[in-house]
Amino acid sequence: MTIAIYIAAALASLFLFTVELRRCLMMYQQNSYRDERYRIWLRESGDTTSGRRLCGLILFFLALSPFCPHTAATVLAGVFALWGGIVMARAKYKKPLVMTMRARRIFVTAYVLSALIAGVAVVALGNNGLLAGLFALCEALLACYCGSHIILMAANRILSPLEKQINRKYYNEAASILASMKDLRIIAITGSYGKTSTKHYLHAMLSQQYETLMTPGNFNTTLGVVRTVREYLKPYHQVFIVEMGAKNVGDIKEICDLVHPWGGIVTAVGPQHLESFKTIDNVQATKFELVDSLPVGGLAVINNDFEKIADRPVDSVPCIRYAVARPDGADYVARDIEYTPTGTRFAVVRVADGKELRLSTRLVGECNISNLTAAVAMAQALGVSDEKIAYAVEEIEQVEHRLSIKRIPGGLTIIDDAYNSNPVGSAMALDVLSAMTQGRRFLLTPGMIELGGEQYDRNRDFGFNAASKCDVAIVVGEYNRNAILEGLKNGGMPEENIYTVASFAEAQQLLMSKSSPGDTVLYENDLPDTFK
Amino acid sequence: MKTNIAVFFGGRSTEHEISVISANQAMAAMDSDKYNVIPVYITKDGRWYTGSALTDVKNYRNTAELLKQCTQVYMRPVYGDYNLYKAERKMFGSDVLATLDAAIPVLHGSNGEDGIFEGVLETIGIPFAGCATLASANGMDKITMKMILAADGIPVVDYVWFTDKQWFAHRDDLIAKVESKLGYPVIVKPANLGSSVGIGRADNREDLLTKVDDARRYSARIIVEDLVENLQEINCSVLGDCDEYRTSVLEEPIKSGEILSYTDKYMGGTKDNRGMHASKKRIPADLPQAETDRIRFLAGETFRVLSCHGVSRVDMMIDAKTRDIYVNEINTIPGSLSFYLWEAAGLKFNELMDELVRLAFKRKRDQSTKTVSYDSNIFALGGGVKGAKGAKA
Repeated sequence: MTIAIYIAAALASLFLFTVELRRCLMMYQQNSYRDERYRIWLRESGDTTSGRRLCGLILFFLALSPFCPHTAATVLAGVFALWGGIVMARAKYKKPLVMTMRARRIFVTAYVLSALIAGVAVVALGNNGLLAGLFALCEALLACYCGSHIILMAANRILSPLEKQINRKYYNEAASILASMKDLRIIAITGSYGKTSTKHYLHAMLSQQYETLMTPGNFNTTLGVVRTVREYLKPYHQVFIVEMGAKNVGDIKEICDLVHPWGGIVTAVGPQHLESFKTIDNVQATKFELVDSLPVGGLAVINNDFEKIADRPVDSVPCIRYAVARPDGADYVARDIEYTPTGTRFAVVRVADGKELRLSTRLVGECNISNLTAAVAMAQALGVSDEKIAYAVEEIEQVEHRLSIKRIPGGLTIIDDAYNSNPVGSAMALDVLSAMTQGRRFLLTPGMIELGGEQYDRNRDFGFNAASKCDVAIVVGEYNRNAILEGLKNGGMPEENIYTVASFAEAQQLLMSKSSPGDTVLYENDLPDTFK
Repeated sequence: MKTNIAVFFGGRSTEHEISVISANQAMAAMDSDKYNVIPVYITKDGRWYTGSALTDVKNYRNTAELLKQCTQVYMRPVYGDYNLYKAERKMFGSDVLATLDAAIPVLHGSNGEDGIFEGVLETIGIPFAGCATLASANGMDKITMKMILAADGIPVVDYVWFTDKQWFAHRDDLIAKVESKLGYPVIVKPANLGSSVGIGRADNREDLLTKVDDARRYSARIIVEDLVENLQEINCSVLGDCDEYRTSVLEEPIKSGEILSYTDKYMGGTKDNRGMHASKKRIPADLPQAETDRIRFLAGETFRVLSCHGVSRVDMMIDAKTRDIYVNEINTIPGSLSFYLWEAAGLKFNELMDELVRLAFKRKRDQSTKTVSYDSNIFALGGGVKGAKGAKA
C-alpha cells in the first residue's frame, strides 16, 4: 500500500516536472534561446520566485529535514505535484510552444540531464530499499522542477556545438544556392518600422511583372533567410525580397554578407529595440550597414522623413531619398494626399522631372503612404510600368494587425494595430482613430515595450496624445500602466473614461459592455505571454 | 538548380499519336540547362507513365515494350501537392518520384484539350501553360465557340446544331431548319472532335442524312455549318494570355481534296510521321496586307474573347470570291505547338517553350491575388444556417 503511494507520488512528480519543463521551454523559445534575454525575463517576470516554485522548494527542504517522516513528505509532494501539474497543463498560452527540431533536441537533452541527476540521487540515497529510492526520486524530480530553467540553459549550452554545426551547414547550403542563381535580383528592406508592410507592397508591385519571392512572416534574421532560401527559393524566381531585422549592431551586415543585395530600402531609424541597441546612433549605424553593403551599380532607397536618415550622407551607391512629411531634399515625394471613406488617394512625384503617378489605395495612415512611396521608387527602378504599379497599389489588401481598418456594418469599426507598436506608429494610429467622429472612440492598449530607458517617457507621451484623440481608454496589464495613466491625466482625460484591466480578455469584455454600434476601437499593440 | 517541368502527352483520344509527336518535338526544344523535363505519357487506357525511353519516338512502335522500361506514376488531386508519385509502393523509401514546379499539357483532342485534363491541373493548383478549363471547353466545342464569338461580333458562318437524340426525335424539323437557314451545300461535323474526324460535306438531303449518321458515331453533339465554297484556309497562331498576346505569321495548308483530311494533316509529309509540321503548307500565306492584318486581328480577338492562354492556333476561312473572312475554329493545343509558324515569325522553338513556362508562372502569380474562399466558417458564426428551406418566404 505504501509502495503504491510512493509510486503514485513519483509519477506525479514526473508529471509536474515534464509539464514545467515544457512551460519553461516555451518561454525559453520566446526568448530565442538566448540566455541573457531569458535571464532578464526570468528576473523581471518573477518566474523564479513564483509561488509554486517557492512551495516546491519548501517541500524539498521540509522532506529532507529529520523532523518530517518520509511518508508524509512523499504524500505532500505527490499532492502538490499532481495539483501543480494539472493547473499548469490546463493553462492556455497566447503563443504556445512549437516543437521544432531544435526545441526537441533541447527538451530531450534536458530530460536526459534530469534523469542523470535523478539517477545520482536515487543511487546515493536509495540503498536503503525501494521506498527510500522512490523518495529520493521524488525529491530529485522536485529539485529539477524548481531548477528547470537552469537545466534548460545547461542543455542548450551542451547542445551549442551541435547547433552551430547544423546552422553552418544550412548557411553554406543557402549561400551556394544563391551563388548558383546569378540573374536573381535581391532587394533588402530594413528599418525600425515599416519593413514588413513595405515588403508586402513591393512584392505586390513587382509580382505584376516578375516571379518574386519574399521572406515570409517574421523570417527576418540570418537563420530565417537561410531557411527561406533552402525551403522556398526556386530556380524560376527572378526577384528575392529580403526583410532584415536587427536587435544588435552587426545583425544587418551578417545577413548582407549572405545575400549580397543589389538594392536596399531603409524605411526608418527610430527608437526601437533600445534595450539591445542602447542608443539611436547604433540603430542608425546598423540600418546603414545595408546601404554600405550595396554594390556600386545598385540602388538605395531611404526615408528622408527621419532626421537620422536625412542627416546621413550616402556616397557609395546611387541613392533615392523619399519623403511625405518633409519633402525638402527628397527625390521622391508623396503629395495631394486625400483620405476617402474607402481608403486614400495620393500622388507620387519624381522631383527631378516632375513626373507624377496618381495612385489609389485601401490603406490608411501616413506611414502606409510613406511605405508605398518607397516601394514605388524601387519598382520603377526595376522597370515595372506605371500602369502595373497603379493596378497593384489599388489591389493591395491591408496587412492584418498593421493599422488595418475593418468596418462591420451595424457594429464596431475596428482599427487593428496590434503588431509591435512604436512611438511613431502609435501616434499615427491615434490620428486615424481621432478622425472617426461618428461614434465613440475607444483605445485598448498595453502600451509599448522594448524602449529601454525611454519606455516610461514614451508611454506617458502616448497617453498624453491619446487623451485628446479618444473618448475612452482601456489600459491593459501593469507593464506601462502608470506611465500611460499619468499621460492620460496630464492630457485632461476625465477619470471616468479611463479603465485599467489585467488582461486582454477582461479588456474585451469591458469593451463589449461599454460600446455601441457605430463606435470605433483601436487595438494598439499586443503582447505575447512573456509580458503580463 | 533546375525547374522541374512535366510535359503530359498521349491521352485517351483519336489524336493520341499526334500528341506523342508534338510533345517529343517540344521536349527536345526545351533548354536542358534551365529545365528538368519530365515526360508523362498517358496511355490509351488512361494510365500515366514516365521514363527517359519516352523521348524517342521510335520506341512507340511497341507500346508494351516501351511501358516496361517506364515507371507508372500518378498525382494526387490535393491542392498544392505537386508531387509525381510512383504507382508501385515500396516498403521503404519515398514514393515521390519528383516534385514538379510546372506542367505543360501537349494533349490533343478529347480528354486532353477539352478542359478535362486541365481541370485536374487546376484542382491540384500547379502552374501550367495553356488554356484553363473554361477556354479549353469552349474552344473545343464548335458550337459554344461559335456562340461566344458571334456574341462578340467576330465573324463565323451560320450554323444549326442539335444532339443525336434531338435528331432522332425531330429529324424532319431539323432538316427543314438546315435547308431554310443554311441551304446546301453544308458541312456536317461532330461538335467536339479534332483533326477532321467524322466530318463530311452534304450537297442534298440524302447526303445530309448520311453525313449526320456518320457524325453521330463520334459525338452526341452535331453542328451543321454553311459551307464556304471557293474556300481558302488560312491559319494563324496566337501566343500569350488574354491580357497580353501576339499573333504569328499566317500559313495556308495545301489540301488534297475538298477539305483538309486526316490523311492530309498527318500522313502528308515525309515517311517519318512528322505531324502537322510536315504536312504541306505555304508560309507565309500569300495574301494582301489588309487581309493579313485583318486575319491576325481576328485571331487575336478570338484568343482574347475565349480567355485563352499559352499557344493556340486559330483556323480561318476566306471565301475566295467574296473575300469574306470567317473564324472556323480554334485549336487550344495546336499540333507541334505551331512552332513552325513562330520560327517564321522570328521566335525560336526554345524561346517559345521559355515563353510558355513564363506564362504558366505568371498566371499562377495573378491568380494568387484573388480570394477563393473565406477563412471564416459560416457554421461557426452562431445563429445557425437555415438554407433555402428555412428562409422565410
